[in-house]
Amino acid sequence: MLSANRPHCCLTTAVMPSIMAQISDPKIAFAYLRPACVLLTREPSVTNVETLSGQLKEVNDATLQQLQEYVLFPLRFVLKVPGPKKDKLVQAVAEAMSHVLENTCVQSWETLHDLLSELCLCLCSPTDPGKPADTSEELKSAVLRCLDALLHAAYGDIVFKLFEPIMLPGLGAAISLLLALGEKEKSRDIQAAALKCLLALTLQCDCTQEHVVPSSEERYAVGSTMASFLPGITMAVARIITGDLRQGHAVTVRAIKVWSRTVGLVMEDAQLQASEPWKTPSPELGRIAQLVIHRTPDWVKSTAGKLSELLKKIVSCTSAHQHWRVRLEMVELADHLLARCSQSLGECVGPLVEALVGAVNDGEPRVRERCEVALREVSQRNQSCSSHGDVTSQRSRTQTFTDVLSENLHSLATSLPRLMRTSDDQKKLFVLNVFLGYLKVLGPLVSVVLNSAAHLERISKALMQVLELDVMDVCIVEERRHGSTIETSSTSADSCTAHTQRKHFLYFTDEKIFSVLMEICRTLGYYGNIYLLTDHFLDLYRQSSTYRKQAAMVLNEIVRGAAGIGVATENQGLEGEGHGSPATKEDLKAAVVSVMEEYTSLNNWHLITVSEETDRDRQDQQLLSPPNLLSISNSDVSNVKAKSLQVLPSSFGFPSPSTSTSTIHQLNSNIWQLCIQLEGIACFSQALGQDFRPLLMTSLYPVLEKAGEETILVSQAALGSMWEISKACGYLSLKELINENSDYLLNDISLNLQRLSQHPQAPRVLTVMLTHSDCSLLPLVGDIVQDVLVALDLSYDHTAALFCSVLHALMKALVRWFPSSCNRTRPRPKQTSTNQEVLNIRQFLLDYRKQKELAEGIGIEEDDTENLDVPPPTECEDVEDIGGPDVKAELPSHLSITKDVMERCIHLLSNPSLRLRLKVLDVLELCVCVLSEKQNELLPMAHRCWPALLQRLTADDPLAVLRAFRMLCTLGETCGDFLRRRVSKEILPKLSSSLGRQAPISAKAGPVYSHTVAYKLQLAVLQGLGSLCQRLDLGEADLDTVCEACLPYLSCRQPIRLQEACLSVFQHLIQVDPDTFWFTLNELHCPSSYTPPHPDLQPVQLNGMGRPRDEYSDNVLKLLREEYGSVAATVDEPVS
Amino acid sequence: MSRPAPTPVYTLRGAGGPLNTLHFSCHGGDTPLLFSGSGKGVIHIWDLNSRRAERIVEGHSGSSVIWVSTLQSTEALISQGRDMQVCLWDLREGRREVVDSVWTDSVGFCQCSLLETSPGNYLLAFAGQQTEEIKIIELPSKTPVCALVPDTKLGMVMCIKLWQPDSGPGPLLLAGYEDGSLLLWDVTQRSKLSQAKAHPEPVMCLTFDTQRLRGISGSSEKRLSSWMLDTQSKLQVTVEMGGVLPFSGLSWKTSGAKEEEAQRGSRGHKSAAGYTVLAGPGAEDRARAVTPESNHPYTH
Repeated sequence: MLSANRPHCCLTTAVMPSIMAQISDPKIAFAYLRPACVLLTREPSVTNVETLSGQLKEVNDATLQQLQEYVLFPLRFVLKVPGPKKDKLVQAVAEAMSHVLENTCVQSWETLHDLLSELCLCLCSPTDPGKPADTSEELKSAVLRCLDALLHAAYGDIVFKLFEPIMLPGLGAAISLLLALGEKEKSRDIQAAALKCLLALTLQCDCTQEHVVPSSEERYAVGSTMASFLPGITMAVARIITGDLRQGHAVTVRAIKVWSRTVGLVMEDAQLQASEPWKTPSPELGRIAQLVIHRTPDWVKSTAGKLSELLKKIVSCTSAHQHWRVRLEMVELADHLLARCSQSLGECVGPLVEALVGAVNDGEPRVRERCEVALREVSQRNQSCSSHGDVTSQRSRTQTFTDVLSENLHSLATSLPRLMRTSDDQKKLFVLNVFLGYLKVLGPLVSVVLNSAAHLERISKALMQVLELDVMDVCIVEERRHGSTIETSSTSADSCTAHTQRKHFLYFTDEKIFSVLMEICRTLGYYGNIYLLTDHFLDLYRQSSTYRKQAAMVLNEIVRGAAGIGVATENQGLEGEGHGSPATKEDLKAAVVSVMEEYTSLNNWHLITVSEETDRDRQDQQLLSPPNLLSISNSDVSNVKAKSLQVLPSSFGFPSPSTSTSTIHQLNSNIWQLCIQLEGIACFSQALGQDFRPLLMTSLYPVLEKAGEETILVSQAALGSMWEISKACGYLSLKELINENSDYLLNDISLNLQRLSQHPQAPRVLTVMLTHSDCSLLPLVGDIVQDVLVALDLSYDHTAALFCSVLHALMKALVRWFPSSCNRTRPRPKQTSTNQEVLNIRQFLLDYRKQKELAEGIGIEEDDTENLDVPPPTECEDVEDIGGPDVKAELPSHLSITKDVMERCIHLLSNPSLRLRLKVLDVLELCVCVLSEKQNELLPMAHRCWPALLQRLTADDPLAVLRAFRMLCTLGETCGDFLRRRVSKEILPKLSSSLGRQAPISAKAGPVYSHTVAYKLQLAVLQGLGSLCQRLDLGEADLDTVCEACLPYLSCRQPIRLQEACLSVFQHLIQVDPDTFWFTLNELHCPSSYTPPHPDLQPVQLNGMGRPRDEYSDNVLKLLREEYGSVAATVDEPVS
Repeated sequence: MSRPAPTPVYTLRGAGGPLNTLHFSCHGGDTPLLFSGSGKGVIHIWDLNSRRAERIVEGHSGSSVIWVSTLQSTEALISQGRDMQVCLWDLREGRREVVDSVWTDSVGFCQCSLLETSPGNYLLAFAGQQTEEIKIIELPSKTPVCALVPDTKLGMVMCIKLWQPDSGPGPLLLAGYEDGSLLLWDVTQRSKLSQAKAHPEPVMCLTFDTQRLRGISGSSEKRLSSWMLDTQSKLQVTVEMGGVLPFSGLSWKTSGAKEEEAQRGSRGHKSAAGYTVLAGPGAEDRARAVTPESNHPYTH
């Protein structure tokens, strides 16, 4: 062999001979064993027993079988010898016998019977046969092993003789002995072994060896006999199970097994239903006949009652056992008994199901899985029975089972609120899981259970109480935002869902508990009758405001569940059979329609979420917010939002002390109710999918109404809801959702605009629509805008403010949809480098000379001809225009809308309400942006609005001046030199004088000054003035005025932001006329001396030269450095 | 007149032009439909469940559609346009093609009237080429049945209504004329049964309740006139009401939930289209005219 040199092979070859050498010839074996047997018979000693047992191991199994009786004889003889025996000897004998029995079969009833009684004698105390002997543990263990081997070795045809009535006393003795061992022994091994023997004795051993499989008659016989011992066994074993917690799980597990198997054997439905004629015990039994038990229905009933008591004890002791094997065994027990004896056990079914259901959420996955399988089987059995319930007995059986389940459910629902109040989260979760388990096991029968008014009432009340929300959170009311800024940035659904506020409940905090509760609701909806459920919970919803929110939550989930959404998949296997399938689409739709009608009805939808005071505060706050002056010219609109969203110190939103806390709670409660209802609409859309589309006719408008709500929580919920709806209906985005259904929305909007007093939210909906849509909406919106304008025209006094917000939203949308030049960032022309200037000096001088000559009248003719070239083309254009006045192209609708809006705004500019004037200025500014793409339209409008604007700029509240100036800047940006004269004539003098007047004040002011309107005005003017001057291309005189007015603000004594703003003015001015302002600045402060490159040239003298540093130095130097390059470098630039 | 107009249930938008005529079709399939004919020759078929134009049929070469109706037994649409054509459309299975057309030769605004005589057979009455002429033909065979011309000069035929009385051999026809007269014709006898002067000005529209034998006509002098047929089939003007300007349509609101539903739907629409709707059988005192307003045509 190749492998011969390997060590482990050597080992194998060494062992081989001993196996090979087993004696297979009976004759040789007999000859071999005989001396030892004889010796042992003669002289029973440990040594002799060991000799024999050693030799026995050298005989093979078949041979041993032939010699079984012969070999056993001396061993049994040792046991039979009267008088006390040494433990060691008996133990040796038991071990030897075990060997024999483990390897052979017992074919003779005599042997089995005798051995059984002999072994039992070894175990029991000689004085009291019912009690275990006070022998060594090793001995007991050996004897038990032997007993086990004997029971396993017994042949099928003889083993059943054990269960004949005549054997009752003997069997009883053995059983009580084993029970005593199992209960009283200190050694766990012996306890476990005794219990295993008990299992083997009832032919229900679960070990890996082969076992006799009894036929049904045999099983009946065994069960019948064991019935006599059932009380004893169950009680004793129950004591073991519920006994010492420290006894180790192995014993408990085995004990549970004994309990379950024994009960399962005796109380088996199949046996009890096979109504075998009662045979009166034969007279020769004598007194033994009294022991025989006939399992009559009465007996079964009373036994079941007793068993249920025991079972409750066991369940309470084990359902929370620390070791998972114990819990697993309990699941097995429940499964085993429910599978076999659910009918006969009657009262026990309740606790059994509870045990099973309670393990659904076990921490140990193995337990959980097993439990799920078991539950599935239970509900399957239950349903299959109910589906072919033609057999009366089966029906009654189902009835009882359902009764038990619904009974349990009822009592659990009753105690649920108490448990939810008192126990800890872990326990709550457990209880709810049990609740859910019941619903799952009941399956389609849930609808039957719910038909009972008492059950429905109980369950719904429990849910109402458990789901009570905590509405104390003050910050919910507080969170609000500017009505004008609705987020457009939320382009994805995620960003919305991420914001969803967690609900706070009174009775629990764990999110898991909430999700189980929601699953309970879904399961109810899945199995229950959707009409019944929605009607019932709608009743609760209407009944009282305390239940409203909870009822809505439950309704939402019920509908989802009814559509089969979020219902645990484990039951899907059942859907094929019985009812199982979710409600039909029509039913669901009808239910959804009724619920949604209730949700969006006036009383439940138009809830107050803002207290009046906070509302006013907010608006004031908005007006006082720092102006984002240049944000328009700086382009992006979102920027404006970002800024304006930040400014809201919470103190401003805080309600004044006069508002009692109860109102806050009411507001909070309203907010939550709206959120839940909005979530509900999303749930309904999920449930109906594409079928929800027709319902958009009624539901989309209310949702949009809430999306425009100022309370951030509500508007976010509405936005989230919109996302869900568009997903469910198959729209890719909110934009698509709104665009596709704009006809529905606009119908409602136009209707409600006509009855604005009853429907003040209509403008808000339009605002939301505009915010989320794009220009494809314009043709439809145009119609509505006309409505709005007409309505505005009809009642300027009352509704102007409201409509203004619509117009504002409209214009904002138009600015977004049609970005025009005014919105784009104008790249700031870079300052030409000084080097280039140097190079261009020659050209400059040439130009200068030419200009000078022109001024003196030289070369005019030449220029005239040049000038003449210019007009003809314009004339041509004119001719064309004159030629076709009729065919004047129709304005694009957005421009005509803008013109219409602007027209109204001009009227409103002089409205007595400051707030309105400010708003109108905002709108006007946006109008100008839109119109900027068409100068022909813009300029006349600018002309029209100029007088009103001038009033705002010169003779109005500082706040209005602020806005008006911003508007002027925008106008300047777009109209350019059209405004030059007007500005220089009518505006600049006022502005510069006010700047000049304010300069000393602000220079001396403290830090508080920056909160005053005067400061803000200064800042705004300075920030805007520069670009205005540049855009309007103002003349030198005007620039000088501006420069003069601004110079004081270069002082470092001014507030820093004013300095910065002033710097920006100069930056713009320098771009218009670099030389002049270089000179001006240098006159103020000149950091370097300029030496002429040639001595013939006169030295440069500037006022600022050689001056000590003063308040202006810093800013002047900064400007010179940044705008003219390095100051330090001496530049021989001529001064103009 | 002081009560405010009721809120329309819904405004159907997007017809793209002024509407001249409306027709409800609520029988047959479960989706109630509304047909509208616009001044731009477009017929919109509105699904009243989704409230959206389900189909758009363009015909009459862009001329104004002045009348639409459906044939009861088949899924066919019949329309009359200012192009002097009456077209029969096949709308089954999403088709929209002209199956047949009749040349009316009438330049007026008089709407046709249709009567189903037996399943699949119809009588169509329309104004003819001559001023007072009313032509009646049988459909689908297009055989002329008769031409009704009054003896006296009554001016143009303005509106007609063809119906089959419960008792009596043949269909009757009511016609309103330019001089304000109402004439009742017996179609089979080709004879005038009755004549009444309902208005001093042209009759613009009329409606007739064939059960109660009562009718109402509107005229350009802003008055409604109510009249009835007595047992001798004589027209008798009973009541006159003022202050309304019926343009092109009048209809009875009959009881019955389905009708009411349809009526509710129509009211809003008609008001937008410049219609006058009469509501409530026999309750003339509560009849209300919704002030016609210009609708705002737009296109999607």
